[in-house]
Amino acid sequence: MLELVPKPQFSVVIPPKLLQEGYLVSFASDWPSTHNAIREKTFRIDAVNQVPYDRSYILPTGAVGTLYRDVDFSNGSGAFQESIYPENQNTLFEVLLGFKPGNFLSHWYLPAGKSVHNLEYAQMYPDLTNANRMYLGARQPKDSPYEDPRIKLYFVKDLAPLIMRLYVLAGVDFEKIVVGLTINKCLMREIERPTDDQKLKAKVIRYFDYLRW
Amino acid sequence: MPSLVVTAHTTARTIAAERGNAVVKAKSLTIDNQVGAGDCAITIQDSFTPAPYIGVPAPGAELIERFRALVQAGDMITWGEEDLKGVRCLGAMLVDSDVIKATCYITVGYEHE
Repeated sequence: MLELVPKPQFSVVIPPKLLQEGYLVSFASDWPSTHNAIREKTFRIDAVNQVPYDRSYILPTGAVGTLYRDVDFSNGSGAFQESIYPENQNTLFEVLLGFKPGNFLSHWYLPAGKSVHNLEYAQMYPDLTNANRMYLGARQPKDSPYEDPRIKLYFVKDLAPLIMRLYVLAGVDFEKIVVGLTINKCLMREIERPTDDQKLKAKVIRYFDYLRW
Repeated sequence: MPSLVVTAHTTARTIAAERGNAVVKAKSLTIDNQVGAGDCAITIQDSFTPAPYIGVPAPGAELIERFRALVQAGDMITWGEEDLKGVRCLGAMLVDSDVIKATCYITVGYEHE
């Protein structure tokens, strides 16, 4: 049998994971009024710069929920602050975050104490002191591997502190939690009167609250 | 894969320094105790200081045994990657012995991962 394989009808193009120069972003109306400088506005990305940054934390395991480390991404000199928020109004930090394998999990809060992964029934919120609910909303290393990170965060100036709570699972004495960050620094320029086409093409960045309807 | 040879000593010898974004995994281990009298009990130790965590702003240093083997005088034993699977150090990798013996050679192959 002789067969001529036909030309493919289409080819798959995988879009870049990070914002690129010339891309458009707009900030939704759900951003709080403290962010009026960007709220409901559209911007063009004029320049980008990817900054890799690895952080690691060796933590012990302990009785349920008693030992954990809060990683605060906001700026400052506090013991748990990582200072990776922008300092300029026209800068957006798009952050990819991945974990090396290990026996741990992470919970996410914005601001501190307010989980972004609650369910709707009473008390169905992540809780490290509860043997079952410690896994509710928990992100594990396999969810966002170091080599192929899938957790993406957006930071702007003066954003409320985003907290990543790290907890070592029982069964190991200590664990080394290696967090790989790629901080895509984006220089933004406001488009005063965006066209409908620009509005349509812009990537909409919503406030973290939209995860908590 | 880097490797290092040390002799048996009661003061722990550093094989691999701690690296911020990796653990140290043992890939091969050979203990050559063919020459001279006296058995050697060799341990691989993990030396590190945990990061500060809630309620403990300055945790103390830790030294944890990750592997232990007794090699009798006249013997030479080799462990490969399969045998050492799971032997990983979060901090620096050290090798320690229960006796000082200049003719007992310990070869450790390791990798930061």
